[in-house]
Amino acid sequence: MIQKLKILPPTLRDKKRYIAFEVTSQGRLSRDDIISMLLDGSLYLFGACGTANFELWVVKLWRCTSENNPETINEHRMKGIVRCRRGEVDSLKAVIPTITNFRGEPVVFHTLGISGTIKSAIKNFIKL
Amino acid sequence: MQRNYSRIKNFSKGMFFDLHVHGNENVIIEAERLGYAGLGLTRYFEDYNEEFSREFDILDDSSNIIIKKCIEISCKNPEDLRRKVQKSRRKADILMVRGGDLKINRAACEDQRVDVLSQPYRSRRDTGLNHVLARKAAENSVAIELNLKILFKTNLRYRYRVISQFRHIIELQRKFKFPLIITTNANSKYDLRSPQDISALARCFQMTFEESFDAISKTPQEIIKTNKARDSFIVDGVKTVE
Repeated sequence: MIQKLKILPPTLRDKKRYIAFEVTSQGRLSRDDIISMLLDGSLYLFGACGTANFELWVVKLWRCTSENNPETINEHRMKGIVRCRRGEVDSLKAVIPTITNFRGEPVVFHTLGISGTIKSAIKNFIKL
Repeated sequence: MQRNYSRIKNFSKGMFFDLHVHGNENVIIEAERLGYAGLGLTRYFEDYNEEFSREFDILDDSSNIIIKKCIEISCKNPEDLRRKVQKSRRKADILMVRGGDLKINRAACEDQRVDVLSQPYRSRRDTGLNHVLARKAAENSVAIELNLKILFKTNLRYRYRVISQFRHIIELQRKFKFPLIITTNANSKYDLRSPQDISALARCFQMTFEESFDAISKTPQEIIKTNKARDSFIVDGVKTVE
């Protein structure tokens, strides 16, 4: 049996916000690549002290269908949701435009919107 | 600016303690120079023997600052913990348990004889503490330790995680008011930091000045004070008076 701590009551938990984003790259990206891009960008811009406050967490990622042919998957574009603490949203939004390349290839991130729940973030910004 | 002056004034007045120092006389001399009023000279439970106790007496006589005998217990399971605490409680001034495992964290928080729970977050993703353990620690006055060596020795890429763990512990501390101490866990004089610097660093974990001052000055003094009186405690709430 995996032992686990009892979860904190809602009043003691950190308040969260979800940021929906879109990433375009030349190559194919995996989940780990996106996590390390966001983390490195945040560490470069705010350092360890700032990053510790964000509680950064990549919640979910989706591959997008290509615009010309809805049947096929566009390898170069992904959408996703990243979680952070309420109050640090603006700082994390500042991190997103600073990411310009990854392993020598150009990458661009765009913020789609901010939401309080994963459900509404998917409904309003990811639009599956 | 007014506030800055008062801070400097406070620091010249304060008595600072570092309750977790492994090391020899060089560390003690350096700590005295940095302005510490006392140290807790720590040995592991396995390394503690007669020789250390003799060595300790010599060091205690020769130094100008207060030195306390600490024992750090590292154990595999709660039964082991209880056995080792029973054995070493009378020998040591301050008893420290190395946490990290959830069962050991819990057993240490529930034991009144333990003074300090060292590194409950060791090799974990979360803090190793929650509201239940925090309440227990406050009831039994088990101090939680923030270990600066862990912070300095962690790779730069993962350092943010340690700071985040510290911040969570401090948030719990504000709610449940368990004692909190900051220690350096120094092995040599290169690991020691001066009290002013520690207080400044604690601002990164979002501690206020007063909280960090308590963590390096007031709480260690209280731990030392209760341990002096510990022999005269008979049962909970009863003690012999001379």
